[in-house]
Amino acid sequence: MTQTPETPHDDDLLAAEMVLGLSSDDDMIAARRRVATERDFADRVVFWQERLTAMTDGIDPVSPPARVKKKLMAQVFPKQRVSILQRLWVWQGVAMASLLFAGYLGVQLLEINTRPGGDQPTVLAAQLVSDTSPLQVLAVVEPIKHEIALRRVSGAANEGRVLELWAILPDQAPVSLGVLPDSETTRILVPAELRSQAAQITLAISDEPVGGSPTGAPTGDVLAAGAMSEL
Amino acid sequence: MDRQEIENLIARVALKDRAAFDQLYDRVSAKLFGVCLRVLNKRAAAEDAMQDSFVKIWNNADKYNANGLSPMTWLITIARNTSIDRLRARKKGHQDVNTPGFELVSPGPTPEQYAVASSEASRLSGCLDTLEEDRGKAIRGAYLDGETYSDLAERFGVPLNTMRTWLRRGLIALRECMSQ
Repeated sequence: MTQTPETPHDDDLLAAEMVLGLSSDDDMIAARRRVATERDFADRVVFWQERLTAMTDGIDPVSPPARVKKKLMAQVFPKQRVSILQRLWVWQGVAMASLLFAGYLGVQLLEINTRPGGDQPTVLAAQLVSDTSPLQVLAVVEPIKHEIALRRVSGAANEGRVLELWAILPDQAPVSLGVLPDSETTRILVPAELRSQAAQITLAISDEPVGGSPTGAPTGDVLAAGAMSEL
Repeated sequence: MDRQEIENLIARVALKDRAAFDQLYDRVSAKLFGVCLRVLNKRAAAEDAMQDSFVKIWNNADKYNANGLSPMTWLITIARNTSIDRLRARKKGHQDVNTPGFELVSPGPTPEQYAVASSEASRLSGCLDTLEEDRGKAIRGAYLDGETYSDLAERFGVPLNTMRTWLRRGLIALRECMSQ
């Protein structure tokens, strides 16, 4: 560029050129420095940024394929799988009787980790807890059989009452997955209509009369709840 | 797009809230993918560019608050600039298009300034159409196709300096038209 960018007038064009990506390499380096240090220049860049971005108003949204999100999440949260797993192992330590479940998880993860290629099934897990109740339940969705494996780690149904499990999708009414048996562990089939959205499910357990909610919606207190996260 | 909602999500992403990042993706990925596709014109390249864009969003969300841009402008700019960098990547020594907003120090505009900016912005398209045809095309070419001054000079068959003068006059006319 031959002109000296001293006057405000030229600054404005320099800012516009920076936004358009037209600045020479040297100008771009200088402009970046000025954006970081000069309020007036930074404001000019914002001015052009806001206005020129309107050129994208006419661009229609296009849904990206689901695999992009999967790849992105794997890139941004590379250790997430380990950290959730570690948390689960802590739970195992707390509840000694859960060796079976540890075995279940171990096999599950081994199977996933050894599967070649990028098309790995997602394992979803949720910790159902609440501040007001001692009930704690661990849930893992088995991706191939579409089953939720549940383990009650602490707490139990109130005297003369039962625990009922609900699946809640965003902005939708809870769907009953049935009354939980007294046993510590159980498996429940994910209804077919929920399977494609399993990652969005929040599981909740409510306190209900024997036989379960008479209305088809939770009637008692929610004793524990938790959202699915990818293992 | 609900400005407040997107802003809240970005604020939560800045705190490394994974659920918020997930929601932000669901909320804006289709628009950003549309922008990447428009610039790159190839699905595979656009998918990569969008993935890169979201990694930048995750890593830089804490800088959003100070930069004075509206949330969609910030997000779209990241997608657009990432796409253009890819488009130009084959050229050696290419200096990346900066994403203003990663380093801005300016405090954000007031709501009134935003309202002015957004009504002016909505006039952009009409204003571009009032420019002499080639100037409007050149500005669109630079913004949406990442064309450089030398690309534009070649396309319009004029010397580089002439191209630069044209485009700057176009920008001045554009600024006047938008603020009318």
